[in-house]
Amino acid sequence: MNSDTTLGSVVRSEWLKFRSVRSSIWCVVVTFVLTIGLGVLVTTVVRVQWHKMSTINKLTFDPVQTSLVGIVFAQFAVGVIGSLFITSEYSTGAIRSTLAAVPNRIQLIAGKLIVLVSCMLVIGEVASFGAFFIGQAIYSGVVPTASLSDGAVLRTVIFAGLYLTLLAALSFTLGLLIRHSLAAISIFVSILLILPLILAFLPQSWQNDTVRFLPGEGLGHAMTSVQPGPNLFSPWMSFGILTLYVVVLVAISTSSFLRRDA
Amino acid sequence: MIKVEHVTKRYEGMTAVDDLDFEVLPGVVTGFLGPNGSGKSTTMRIILGLDHPTKGQATVKGKRYQELRDPLHEVGALLDAKAIHPGRTARNHLRALAASNRIPYKRVDEVLEFAGISSVAHKRVGNFSLGMSQRLGIAAALLGDPEVLLFDEPVNGLDPEGIRWIREFFRSLANEGRTVFVSSHLMSEMAVSADQIIVIGRGKFITQGSIDSLTATAKGTVFVRGANHQQLLSALRAKNATVSELNDEALSVSDLSAEEVGQIAFDAGVALFELTPQRASLEDVFMDLTADSVEYGSSGVRHEQ
Repeated sequence: MNSDTTLGSVVRSEWLKFRSVRSSIWCVVVTFVLTIGLGVLVTTVVRVQWHKMSTINKLTFDPVQTSLVGIVFAQFAVGVIGSLFITSEYSTGAIRSTLAAVPNRIQLIAGKLIVLVSCMLVIGEVASFGAFFIGQAIYSGVVPTASLSDGAVLRTVIFAGLYLTLLAALSFTLGLLIRHSLAAISIFVSILLILPLILAFLPQSWQNDTVRFLPGEGLGHAMTSVQPGPNLFSPWMSFGILTLYVVVLVAISTSSFLRRDA
Repeated sequence: MIKVEHVTKRYEGMTAVDDLDFEVLPGVVTGFLGPNGSGKSTTMRIILGLDHPTKGQATVKGKRYQELRDPLHEVGALLDAKAIHPGRTARNHLRALAASNRIPYKRVDEVLEFAGISSVAHKRVGNFSLGMSQRLGIAAALLGDPEVLLFDEPVNGLDPEGIRWIREFFRSLANEGRTVFVSSHLMSEMAVSADQIIVIGRGKFITQGSIDSLTATAKGTVFVRGANHQQLLSALRAKNATVSELNDEALSVSDLSAEEVGQIAFDAGVALFELTPQRASLEDVFMDLTADSVEYGSSGVRHEQ
């Protein structure tokens, strides 16, 4: 037997691990339910209330963003998926048998990230396109609808799925650094929810300069908008910055993983 | 073959392993013996590349673990049987390990069968008893048919039948020419399952050898009872012997042979009623060797034999 452990075999192993525990399956189901289910709920309410809405509201109405509203909630579910993918190895102690089988730690993290990012890309895009199509179908006939033939709309729907993917990867790196499920998920949630609240205490001009850098309120909001607000970066720029955050965190957490004992 | 070369491991001021240096040879079962907290598990984790040594290095078949191309084909290890994701089935746990080292899934069913847990292969590991988990851990260690095997406290949680099974299993692995390294804090277990023993205490090497050589080198005592107790006692003490009074008429002498004690008694003109050399048991040897290095000793509590 002269086979040696390669990235391909690590990916196969990690893919089997990902789909063979209930918690991942449940989190994926929750991601779909939140993204599509909340989309259905909100678009239905809009459709029912449409005739009561003011002209101003009607003119500024965004059929894309309202159909993708579930992303804001699904981001927590994907955070749990990303975090548990590594922290469950620590909480159970399984990291030791994992590393005994794959002692090349860079290869292990690369394999895990490939599996996580591929899975989340599929899940994120299916959820995002699903919510978009179902939302437009609910609007049709009563509320103005958007079409994917509009380049900005297509970009927004794709970016919504990408946003979920990047968040899962970001949460994974926090898990790799912190090694503790609850602590890692708490920090992830704090970044999305608490950080904007802290910034809200700053003077308005400071807020305008800083909010755009936040993963959720800033970058995520811009990525899932057809026309982001004046204080935000462009969708492409936001995508780039969020990707940069993830790359930096992958580098930091992997180098810490290489140094520390398992 | 496993080589531990001057390995030291320090955690924030505490030295878990202190300049350990030994070899584990193929073809025999080598016991790794020490009280709880003496650094056995740390040493095993260092051998497996899980923990980084502060100084020194450990190699398996001449390579550091991280340099092994197909680790599971070379080394099988059972560290902590319960350290498995409880939500995964036994078969999926083994398949994930097999996939990472390109071991065919057919082999997974073979080792499940061998370990006697085929019937629960589809059950979630979280529901397993400690004994079943130990068997699953052994199945995992055998996946790649490795030449070197490490087991950390493998008999914990096994029933008597399982303990017998595992002893015979170690023996057969060694007979096939494999390197078998088994840790335990129980001397009695090692006495029946190991050929060679490495004893450590507080992270330090204490001794190494076969069971027989360890008992042979251990200090035996001489039980002696004579007509004039006090005179015998002072005669022995005059020869710098270590003597303890067992009761009003019996003495226990270390450092001297029965012949020497008899001669001293004769020279002192004390008639002897009883003179018995007492060989140390393995437990005594172990207690003796590690007495200074028990991390959490019970002071003030006497063990009745």
